[in-house]
Amino acid sequence: MNLQRKLQQLLSSMVQPLTAVLIGLLTGAVAISIVGASVIETYKVMWDGAFGNFYFITATLARATPIIFIGLGLAIAFRAGVFNMGAEGQMVLGAVSAALAALYVPGPGIIKILVALAAGFLAGGLWSLLAGWMETRFKVQLLISTLLLNYVAVLFAGYLVSHPFQDKSGSAALAQTTMLNQAAWLPKLFPGMSVNLGFVIAIVFAIILFIILRFTSAGYEVRMLGYNPFFAEYGGINKIKVLLYSMFSSGGIAGLAGTVEVLGSQYRYVEGSLTVPGYAWTGLMAALLANSNPLGTAVAAILLAALQTGAMGMERNTEVPLEIASVIQGVLILFVTAKITINWWKVKKKGGDIHGAA
Amino acid sequence: MTYRLEMKEMSKKYGEFLANDAISVQLKKGEVLAIVGENGAGKTTLMRMLYGLEQPTSGEIKLNGKTVKFSGPLDAIEHGIGMVHQHFMLFSDFTVTENIVIGHEPKRNGFFNRKEAVEKVKELSEQYNIYVNPLKKTGDCSIGEQQRIEILKVLYQGADIIILDEPTAVLTPLEVQELLKIIEFLAQQGKSIILITHKLPEVMKVADQITVLRNGRVTGNVLKQNTDVEQLATMMVGRELQKLTDRIQLDSLPLLVIDNVTIGAKDAKPILDHLSLTVNRGEIVGIAGVSGNGQSELIQAISGLRKIDSGSVTLGDKTLTGKSVAYRRNAGLAHIPEDRYLWGAAKEATVEETGLMGYYRKKNLNQSSFIRLKPFRKLVSAWIDTFEIKTSSLDEKSGNLSGGNLQKLIVARELGFETDFLIAAEPTRGVDIGAMEYIHEAIIEKRNNGDGILLVSSELTEILTLSDRIAVMYEGKIVDILDRKDATEERLSVLMAGGNENESSTKTTTTA
Repeated sequence: MNLQRKLQQLLSSMVQPLTAVLIGLLTGAVAISIVGASVIETYKVMWDGAFGNFYFITATLARATPIIFIGLGLAIAFRAGVFNMGAEGQMVLGAVSAALAALYVPGPGIIKILVALAAGFLAGGLWSLLAGWMETRFKVQLLISTLLLNYVAVLFAGYLVSHPFQDKSGSAALAQTTMLNQAAWLPKLFPGMSVNLGFVIAIVFAIILFIILRFTSAGYEVRMLGYNPFFAEYGGINKIKVLLYSMFSSGGIAGLAGTVEVLGSQYRYVEGSLTVPGYAWTGLMAALLANSNPLGTAVAAILLAALQTGAMGMERNTEVPLEIASVIQGVLILFVTAKITINWWKVKKKGGDIHGAA
Repeated sequence: MTYRLEMKEMSKKYGEFLANDAISVQLKKGEVLAIVGENGAGKTTLMRMLYGLEQPTSGEIKLNGKTVKFSGPLDAIEHGIGMVHQHFMLFSDFTVTENIVIGHEPKRNGFFNRKEAVEKVKELSEQYNIYVNPLKKTGDCSIGEQQRIEILKVLYQGADIIILDEPTAVLTPLEVQELLKIIEFLAQQGKSIILITHKLPEVMKVADQITVLRNGRVTGNVLKQNTDVEQLATMMVGRELQKLTDRIQLDSLPLLVIDNVTIGAKDAKPILDHLSLTVNRGEIVGIAGVSGNGQSELIQAISGLRKIDSGSVTLGDKTLTGKSVAYRRNAGLAHIPEDRYLWGAAKEATVEETGLMGYYRKKNLNQSSFIRLKPFRKLVSAWIDTFEIKTSSLDEKSGNLSGGNLQKLIVARELGFETDFLIAAEPTRGVDIGAMEYIHEAIIEKRNNGDGILLVSSELTEILTLSDRIAVMYEGKIVDILDRKDATEERLSVLMAGGNENESSTKTTTTA
């Protein structure tokens, strides 16, 4: 009985994101037929590109790895009731710090990896904490500060790798660090496949976060703060402390997105390599689609990554342009935000007739 | 003589739920009919059908002997039915006159004739002895004035039957007296009034005829002279109300000491002005006052939700001044908040989560920072049983509970801490009589147990029923403290309005 109700709850919580995905695909279908291609054929090619064989599956998971981290980081902030829009900056700072730590910290590979992970987490976390501190100290709105701090972080990281830490060994002076010692690389999960240990770390993080949010007092405090800050304060929750902790871990996990990309896939920090694929925004979508449930966020991140790898396969094999994926994503965003707006509107409306119980 | 209004066998079904079950009422010219009942008894549904907002499932409405059917409120208004809603529907940027004539403006050459409108409002105001200032901006009017504007609007639209939905819920005691006078006068002028309320003393003052509803059925239809408050309450609740437990006389050792607390002294008028008050063990101290005189801020100052600028708060041997909310709660403070949706709960959180607030930190429910849900679930289930909280499960969203049930959950949670001191702010706002009885009983028991309670309520009856001493707040100060035996509604009303009582010789200043 209880289980049945839980299942029902789970299902009903999935109706909305699934509807959004469905409508996204339908809109994509319209776009595809306008281009003049066969819808079924194109989607089949897309599916193959994302999950067609073991190689493509691992490619999808590899692409999903940073997106999961970003989504998890943002989910914490959302759960605490604040908008962290600074995942991109946090990720980039995490990446560049991890790269530098792995390059310059002496010791065996495992030490380099651990120090780099810590450095990546810390860099992203502190960057995010700065925004949190400005909010609590000077009432600078998080939405704005985190967004603007992205520019500072991305440009600063770009400066680091184009001047003091630039790789001067190659012929072309690219804005990138030198390559990491192979000992400091995160191992690939399967030989010849792009997915690396970072994916496993991401999934472990998703499970840990789920447990923390669901079963511990810290998680309870974060959730209650997000639901109703007044209620949290009234019940004796230290609002400022919880907010700062949440922002720190939110940014830290976003920093890990950059870290595992550096350690597991690019083996150096290359300017633009994290911002151009739009990981941060895809991660944001994953968190929104899953309503900030950590496990759901991981699933949504994999789905969105599949959409992207699938679209690449589609472009390789058909006449349909890559932008179809953007159309589908765009519609997804629209519906996800519509959901937020509707919820907000409902809350407002309910708030209006709270006292109308006659 | 035909009735002005007859509602015959009115029924309304929402799906399977029978909100109104064959309800009949009659109303004569110049008569005041009170419809009383608890929340959810069906009063509102009945009135919505009369006002054309709902179509009855069966039954008929007769006006002056003729059967009518209303397609909507406009239709009802045309037939001379007016309704003053609990929540006023006024434009705060408009003048009083504009709000009254809206929709039926007097015109000259197609343009709004402001002068004539003002004249008409003045005339109406004099005719019915309802005082308003026609040129004042509505936003600057007090709640009482706004209600008078609503009544004049209904009269201006030509209503002969006026429905007043919980009209006294938002008024101060003096405003209530005024409103009751207006109702009597309107009835004398030949208007018929339907008064929807659950406040029985007011009913006994102005109603001619009283219809009691419970669970969608009529449980009594009586004339005022043949009944009393107790009988009405019994019909409303369906059983006799129990008498509250007797008060035990206890040695009163000071428990909560508020000393010279000031908030906002710098420039403007302070919100709390050098306020001192003591609550003893085994004592309920009631705070009476028109809302907005610093009661909310006082509660927040004690519970730690608001910083104070000077003064001190101590609880037993612990100083609370400047301490966090959590510290104060650990020191032995529980707090039923005045606004359950703002402070007392999170609407999206489940019943279990709302109940868990504060408990998740307790040693027996927290194992190395993992919350032990099993024993806690038992605790909440016990609350649900004793307080008869209606919820589909512990996983129900708190926001889906009715106001009264959520209030009971919050009261159960705060009483469950078993602290020495309790702030009870509006503890029974919006709950039905049965629950109110239960909460009052629990508060008295807590008092008899030797705990101290600070009760803040806008219901004078509640203050008078429960308090051992009553402190009256006015403009951030405590203007007087009355002993239980000396306090009457009249004396409190005068003090609450800022009138001083110097002329009265029976003044007792029991400043503890």
